[in-house]
Amino acid sequence: MKKKVLSLLMAAIMVASLAGCGNDSNSGGGSNNGGGSNNGGGTNNESGSNNGGAENGGSDAAEIVKPEKITIMVDGTVFTQENGRDAFEAKLEELLGIEIEIIQPDHTGYYDVVGQTIAGGDWPDVVILSSNYLSSYGSEGVLWDMSAAWEASDLKARQEAYNGASVVESMYIDGALYGMPATHGNGCVTYVKQAWLDAAGITTLPTNFDEYYDMLLKVKEAKGVDYVLAAAGFLNAEAPYINYLSEFYQDAWPAFYQKADGTWVDGFEEQAMKDAMARLAQGVADGIIDPETNTYGTGDVRNKYYDDSLGVFTYWAGTWASNLKNNLNNNGIDSELVALPPLKEIVPPLASGPAYIDRVSPAWCITTQCANPEGVFKYFIEAMQDGGDVQFLWTYGVEGVHWSTAEETLYADTEKPKVYAAGEFHMLDNLESPGSQYTKAHIDPMLALTALAGDPRETTVAPEALAAQQLFNANSVGAFVVPSTAEMNQYNGDLMTEKQSLVARVALGQMTVEEAYKEYEDNGYAEMSKLIVDSLNAQ
Amino acid sequence: MGEKKIKKAKPSAKKTLARMYKYKGFYVMFLPVLVFAIIFFYAPMFGIRYAFTNYNGIKAPDIVWFENFKRMFSMKNFWGAFWNTIQISVIKLLLTTAFAVIVSILLNEIASLLFKKVVQTIIYLPHFMSWVVTASIFSLILSPSSSGLVNSFLVKFGIVDSGSMIYFLGSTKWWRPAYYVINLWKETGWQTVIFMATLAGINTDLYEAAAIDGAGRWGKMRYITFPQLANTILTVIILNLAKVMNLFESAFVLQNDATLSVSNVLETYIYYQSFNSGGIPNYGYTTAVGLFKSMVGMVLVLVCNQWSKKVRDGRGIV
Amino acid sequence: MKTKKKISIFQIINGIIFILVAFIILIPMWKVIVDSFDLRTAYGMKLWPEVFGFDGYKQVFANPTLSRPLLISFFTTIVGTLVALTLSTLGAYVLIQWEMPGRNLFAGLLLFTMIFNGGMIPTYLVLRGLHLTNTLGVVILFPALNVYNLVLMRNFFEGIPASLFESATLDGCSPMQTFIRIVLPMSKAALASIGLMFAVTYWNDYTHYKLYITDSKWYNFQMKLRGMIQGSELPPSAGSNATENTVKNAAVIIVIIPFMILYPFLQKYFVKGVNIGAVKE
Repeated sequence: MKKKVLSLLMAAIMVASLAGCGNDSNSGGGSNNGGGSNNGGGTNNESGSNNGGAENGGSDAAEIVKPEKITIMVDGTVFTQENGRDAFEAKLEELLGIEIEIIQPDHTGYYDVVGQTIAGGDWPDVVILSSNYLSSYGSEGVLWDMSAAWEASDLKARQEAYNGASVVESMYIDGALYGMPATHGNGCVTYVKQAWLDAAGITTLPTNFDEYYDMLLKVKEAKGVDYVLAAAGFLNAEAPYINYLSEFYQDAWPAFYQKADGTWVDGFEEQAMKDAMARLAQGVADGIIDPETNTYGTGDVRNKYYDDSLGVFTYWAGTWASNLKNNLNNNGIDSELVALPPLKEIVPPLASGPAYIDRVSPAWCITTQCANPEGVFKYFIEAMQDGGDVQFLWTYGVEGVHWSTAEETLYADTEKPKVYAAGEFHMLDNLESPGSQYTKAHIDPMLALTALAGDPRETTVAPEALAAQQLFNANSVGAFVVPSTAEMNQYNGDLMTEKQSLVARVALGQMTVEEAYKEYEDNGYAEMSKLIVDSLNAQ
Repeated sequence: MGEKKIKKAKPSAKKTLARMYKYKGFYVMFLPVLVFAIIFFYAPMFGIRYAFTNYNGIKAPDIVWFENFKRMFSMKNFWGAFWNTIQISVIKLLLTTAFAVIVSILLNEIASLLFKKVVQTIIYLPHFMSWVVTASIFSLILSPSSSGLVNSFLVKFGIVDSGSMIYFLGSTKWWRPAYYVINLWKETGWQTVIFMATLAGINTDLYEAAAIDGAGRWGKMRYITFPQLANTILTVIILNLAKVMNLFESAFVLQNDATLSVSNVLETYIYYQSFNSGGIPNYGYTTAVGLFKSMVGMVLVLVCNQWSKKVRDGRGIV
Repeated sequence: MKTKKKISIFQIINGIIFILVAFIILIPMWKVIVDSFDLRTAYGMKLWPEVFGFDGYKQVFANPTLSRPLLISFFTTIVGTLVALTLSTLGAYVLIQWEMPGRNLFAGLLLFTMIFNGGMIPTYLVLRGLHLTNTLGVVILFPALNVYNLVLMRNFFEGIPASLFESATLDGCSPMQTFIRIVLPMSKAALASIGLMFAVTYWNDYTHYKLYITDSKWYNFQMKLRGMIQGSELPPSAGSNATENTVKNAAVIIVIIPFMILYPFLQKYFVKGVNIGAVKE
């Protein structure tokens, strides 16, 4: 026995010595790291002064040098290798006159790889990041503040002219802009099956919650179903938390938001949230909301909608409107859907009237290791939304690979061939999964922030998708980025998990609203919430 | 037996060198294994030091000594998740191993070769389904609605009435039993691979000798098959104890907001901590959690290894 | 006479038990199988597809970029399993030398790697330093040393009678010769089972690809199919009659098929007992 312990000890010592070696061999890496961050700091300062330069020389564009080569790290929202990325890259290089190197990790592992790459100290010039990472990496000095460059740019003017500038403004964190969104974030609208409305003899759409709930009760009665609607979870952990059940949440917000007077509060502790939980419990008790919402994934809910056991579904606007329709069609179910405008009670934080929530969009960021951030902003980021050829490329891809205007017939040997006349713009067959057409490149034409000259979207986008998207765009308010504080990082994970658990248990009738809030107080979650609110207000 | 003698007699350095020379061929054979271990496991172990730092993968790590551990132990639900992990994974391990052993022994007794092949292939299949797919099938089968197979049966046989169907995965009372059953369904078959191989390795002479001694089927099972398997069973259990704290995917895909009090395990807890906080994780903190899990695994393995030495003639499982 | 009768009753009961077990295993799988052939999507269980069709499978195989990942999967699985078996058997063989000086140190070193690890970022930095990232090297070599499997292998080797080693040494065999002439031929069942476990690990691997390979030309089959299963978020094909759910279930079944082809080849090693006499001669 002693021998065993001894040998384990020896192993441990060997590890320690090896760890030492690792240390040594990595002290190179370590100092590299340090060097990296020093560099970062350096360029940060530099960029600060350059910012000034950019501002001064806003009119004199000649000061900004065009970069020769840009390395970009992108997720699966840019064409993958199998989908003609090489052709896309070549065309982009031709249009920009810049050599582009694309690093594209697998979509599911994207943020792990980004984290590794940042830690490795060899950063790309440009990287796509979601809003979570935007605030953290931004505050750590990884990302270049592009606010000055944006304010002085023509891009801002173009976006303002197309109602896109507010999306960029919602990305500001403490006065800094760490990334440029290419599109709206998009959000969910409620789709009601027309056939269900007909069965219940409903001809006017609900405009407030009472009418809505009355509609749900009537269609349940008329169709004789167990439940009318479901979602994947009662409360999502990610912003915008409530968008799959917005009619029931209405003006409630389960997390932190900034009031009009500038103070931060936790919406979970407000009366609106308690009322929302009571409505959810009522909905489950009345057989309106499927209790298995607690366990469903989004695929389960979609399948139940496709097999007609549900009649109301709150889901993504735009492309999904036609996805739902096609799937219902393939399933032999009446596919006519009505997208509801937001009920008058749905007034999320910061909205002035009824509105759905537009999620914060992923953003194109420039790292502080980039040698020429102004140049990259002007010639790469800004160009992406130039309203002309480059934006067209980012929206529809490459002619002959992703789209065409040639005379041809697609899917000639199927039941549903598509015939195009000469000169008629159309998207081509998907290279990776033949049988479906491309709908877009990186920028969804329905979600663009700037106008695109000669935009053919009326011909490429399904009418129901465009209609749903336009309904959403006209009735949505941009979400906001919450700054990250030390307290937020430390407590919010626990807090959010507890909020989800309480909402689910109340909704399922396992506890009352009062019991839920008592547990919330007693177990110290109110305290955590207060610490976070204070830290946000102290900023 | 010989080993014990050697242990007592403390060999002089010279003798050790002589013995090392005798074994020189073996050292060469071990070299590739050592090289792999160093490259893929020991070289990255410098990362363990991050447990004592705050490190976000950007700035140089900032030494905080035991702050990360303090933070971890002071977390609201940490100990709940810790005990959930131990209970769930140890019970799961014992159940799966027990079932796999029983299935292997019975499978080995099947006379028809074709039937055996078919059964073996079928019971391996669930291992190849991803956990996400498994979870979605079982939440359907266990659904508290007319589409739920189990509840339909219970209603049909009058065990529950159709108004009070059991929401197995959504109730704190039923979640764990359901979880164990799903695990048995998915992994028992695959676990038999190793036991079937052990059974195939049993020297057929032993059975013949036993038959001559008049041992029946049960006698052979009890005196030959089972002792031969015991070694493997012990090894499998102890090796798996090292990984007890790593339980993640199966719990993650099956748990839900309403049952977290019984289903939240350490790994999922940490996952929600960093994911739900909406920031980039403190890498130092995750490393500290990993180190803690490793320590727990090591304690479990060492304790059981001591116990196994008694059973295994003074030899540990490694 | 009496025992014979008992045996046959036992056989019958045993058979019935396994028929039941097989059903219990197959019922949940049946949902996937039926759904993969059913052009109509339903949330619940069905005995047979409502509208039968191969469109789900067709849509998966219509993908023209599947052949390269498939080749990569075969290549990494074969090479990886060979490397892994080499390491496991060599390591296991050394670990049964209980009297070898340093044997326990080696065992401790291996066990330590099973319990402790350096974490994601340090591992990445080391692999990147060795220029292994974005090569097939990383997905072949990284999973090859698996201490769990190595110890199981050692467990099998322990079952080899000591007398065989002694006689081999007397015959003047070097350790390597003993290893090749005695140990390996005696351990077919072990090689088959642990080889199978490795092969399945390699075949199903996506974690290492996800983390260490950013160039999709090195993706394997599993990686592609996972993309497709997750890509059921994509719209259904214009020219296809399948719903997204049909395609997803077809992909799940396709992942299993290669294993069903491979398994029968290995199965004989699980059934045969070891005949020591044959080895001695």
